[in-house]
Amino acid sequence: MSRRILSLALALLLAALPAAAQEPPAPDPRLVAAAADSALAFVITGDPQLDRASELGLAGLSAALRARTTVEPGTPVGVDLDQDDLSLLTFLYWPVTADQPPPSPLAYARLNRFLRSGGMILFDTGDGDLEGIGGLESTGSGALQQLAAPLEIPPLAPVPRDHVLTRSYYLLSEFPGRHRGGTLWVEATSASAEQGALGVTNDGVSPVVIGGNAWAEAWAEDDSGRPAYAIGPGYDSGRQRELALRFGINIVMYALGGNYKSDQVHVPELLERLGREQGGYEFGAPDYAPLPQRLLP
Amino acid sequence: MSVVGLGLGFAPLLGWGVVAAALVLALLAAALAWWHGLRGWAWRLAAGLAAAAAMAGPMLETGVRRALSDIVLLVEDHSASQSLPGRAAQLAAASEAMAAQIAARPDTELRRVTLADDPDGTLLGEAIARALAAEPESRLAGMIVITDGRLHDPAALPAEAPAPVHVLLTGQAEDWDRRLVIEESPGFGLIGQPVTLRLRIEDQGAVPDEVAGRAATLRLSLDGEDEQIVSIPPGMPLDIQVTPEHPGQNVVALALDPPDAGPPQLTELNDRAVVRIEGVRDRLRVLLVSGEPHSGGRVWRNILKSDTNVDLVHFTILRPPDKMDGVPVDELALIAFPTEALFHDRINDFDLIIFDRYRVRGILPPQYFDNIRRYVEAGGALLVASGPEMAGVESLHLSPLGAILPARPTGRFVDAPFRPQLTEAGRRHPVTAALQGAPGSAGAPWGRWLRRGEVVADPRAEVLMTGEGERPLLVAGRAGQGRVALLTSDQVWLWGRGFEGGGPQAELLRRVAHWSMKEPDLEEETLSVRVAEGPVLAITRRTMEDAIGPVEITRPDGSTATLVLEPEGAGRFSGRFPAPAPGLYRLAEGELTRVVAVGPAAPREFEQTVADAAALRPLVAATQGAVLPLSEGVPDLRAVAVGRQAHGQGIARPWIAITPRGAEAVEGLAVRPLLPPWAWLLLIVGLALAAWLVEGGRLRTRREDSGVR
Repeated sequence: MSRRILSLALALLLAALPAAAQEPPAPDPRLVAAAADSALAFVITGDPQLDRASELGLAGLSAALRARTTVEPGTPVGVDLDQDDLSLLTFLYWPVTADQPPPSPLAYARLNRFLRSGGMILFDTGDGDLEGIGGLESTGSGALQQLAAPLEIPPLAPVPRDHVLTRSYYLLSEFPGRHRGGTLWVEATSASAEQGALGVTNDGVSPVVIGGNAWAEAWAEDDSGRPAYAIGPGYDSGRQRELALRFGINIVMYALGGNYKSDQVHVPELLERLGREQGGYEFGAPDYAPLPQRLLP
Repeated sequence: MSVVGLGLGFAPLLGWGVVAAALVLALLAAALAWWHGLRGWAWRLAAGLAAAAAMAGPMLETGVRRALSDIVLLVEDHSASQSLPGRAAQLAAASEAMAAQIAARPDTELRRVTLADDPDGTLLGEAIARALAAEPESRLAGMIVITDGRLHDPAALPAEAPAPVHVLLTGQAEDWDRRLVIEESPGFGLIGQPVTLRLRIEDQGAVPDEVAGRAATLRLSLDGEDEQIVSIPPGMPLDIQVTPEHPGQNVVALALDPPDAGPPQLTELNDRAVVRIEGVRDRLRVLLVSGEPHSGGRVWRNILKSDTNVDLVHFTILRPPDKMDGVPVDELALIAFPTEALFHDRINDFDLIIFDRYRVRGILPPQYFDNIRRYVEAGGALLVASGPEMAGVESLHLSPLGAILPARPTGRFVDAPFRPQLTEAGRRHPVTAALQGAPGSAGAPWGRWLRRGEVVADPRAEVLMTGEGERPLLVAGRAGQGRVALLTSDQVWLWGRGFEGGGPQAELLRRVAHWSMKEPDLEEETLSVRVAEGPVLAITRRTMEDAIGPVEITRPDGSTATLVLEPEGAGRFSGRFPAPAPGLYRLAEGELTRVVAVGPAAPREFEQTVADAAALRPLVAATQGAVLPLSEGVPDLRAVAVGRQAHGQGIARPWIAITPRGAEAVEGLAVRPLLPPWAWLLLIVGLALAAWLVEGGRLRTRREDSGVR
């Protein structure tokens, strides 16, 4: 009799256990909001000036996206790598400085999972020159090497001229930020160009983009909508800031849309093939565009 | 134990070197004596030679041998083709008669070898080779093979045999058979594209005049339906076009009508054939339209791009019509959305259209949505994954597509974490059944999603997944001939990212996409059957219903039976039905029908049935044997010498012969010394003594007495 009660109690306990285990703590509302509206995120470095530049920069980029594209990101979120769950984010801006403390091993595990599952990190050394990557210990690139060593980063190469980043929204031939001319690094094009180092699951998208042009400072604007940081001399400064914003828009499109633009090259061909099989239709006939150019996708 | 053989051997005690040395010594001593004119030199030589001989140790070998009996092999072909009318009796009678004649011969043993069916047909060549190898070659006096001559491994036949090989053929002289030969049949075919079967009718044996050269009637049916009748002359290859209609196995049944005149043919088993053609789909073309780039947008690309069987056409609305930034066109990488090409001209080329967070913003005119609706109703597939726009005025549900979407939005969009659940229907539905980590199953629980739209599902649609509290999350519906699936949240990507452990995102989306494209493995209502050992039909029915009716089974002869399937849980029912007779079995339950072909137990046996020893003739000729039809009686058995012709015509009936071999076996060998040691000693001493006596003059010859003295 007592044994039956015991087993009944045990069964009740077992039944109650999963129910209790089923409710994990409520996720961070900032990150939930970021997941919902594809908000941009930056790494909090602990340097107040740098963090402010990142926040203002991503806010400026978000405003530009909202004004010009279908992407309407919410307020940028600052991410504490040691605390926050990255799985709700897609795009992470990481300014790198020489005196940055490295994240914990747990944070590296989260970062690696983030990179593996389709997230993208833009590393910005902010020193305008990455040619000496690995050589100049005093600058951001040396710090970057140390910070990025535990990350599962595929082999890198300078951006090829026909990379999707040069045409994911705007046509770009350079990627200036507050500085211009520095090299931009992405995952090296492997033999299987369509499948990145992380396998077919990642659509051939480079999980990291590395440069040193201090983009956040170029994107940043103050409360009245003027550039928060001085860029270049005179007239050129406006143009350089515009190009920096265009690069920002391109990289967000790349992070969210992957290699969409690169396989779009094949779409006319594909449609034409469909047409050939059925006989007759030619893609690109003058009468196909139903609406003027402002309805561009 | 009889014959004794003798032999001389040597076993030198101290090696041949010592023997040779003794021999040389003896010769030198004798030569020296002769040189000195000693009269006893011959005696000395004899004594030396005797000593050398004693050292060589001569031995006498005595062998014991035994005469061996002769072996005659009797190979009986008991394969399925020997079960044709009359052949079994012929085989038994011939086998008994030959066994009796062999038993009546002195010193002759009979070894029987029985050959049964093999899945590869009659492996007579191998059986003959094995039987020959198993017996000692020198005792084999003959081999008698009783068969119909239709063997399937002529390459295994030996070219030679140590004794005559005789073939006694079963069957009758008037045997004839008509058969259907499939010369060419593709294993796979694209659905809707005709494939070509090439077939031919072959007449064999003594074809009666009433039938010879006359066209035969061929009945052809695909999956047991639409019987077509074709007239086909024997010997002419005929091409027939068949179009696989559905994915999976398409069964083409072919059967010849029996000839209506003349004596019956040997068997009708080879007048039928079943060709199975696997229907496969061409590459799937998927049109993906993303309303905006968002965190989950790449999920679809990742799944569709990694599927090598999919051609993906993807468009994303990157810039809405109401936003302008004044950037010149040549600095933009945007191309126009070829809406007319996609939604008017080419829409029917797509196997699936996916709208991911699509917002109706005036890019697609209403008539294109009407086109999509018609495309789906005519058998297309549509998948909608919606975000917050579903609850607003730009919802797809408010476009003409709304009429076919399987749920209606309430206008609320809920921002609250929830854990996706499977409904009762979802646990059965092949799209969601057995998804890894489903609530209630083993494994880590699924991660939560953070928001979803609220909808009221169409009562005709199946709600497969819900959020907490029965709120539909994944709804699968039908519209006309086509299928529509609706996912009311845009956050399936959280599973892929591993948020709170994530979930089977890729598998779920892959299954939803392929279900909407009617992949047979993902059908809700299926009746599947396979032929199991027995033969038995193993029938499985998968259903969304709670109960199913009995399965009606039509046997090849037209008789019907019903089988009640046993429930196995989660919408699966199964049963087994014995199918002893070969042919087509038709299964029907409700609207589902299946056709399955059960072949004969030994199909190769009945391909060619008229007895013919052509394959065996080279071996028979090489061994001077004979091929004799049993329809003319069982031949006599004689004995001839090895190498002579081993068959002939006797007074009453022909005869075949075996060749007695007179083989012997050595059973033992006795070895003993030629002389005992004391005899050798006596001989050597005697000869030396004689030499001494001769030289001492005590023993003189007459010539010496007269000539010297």
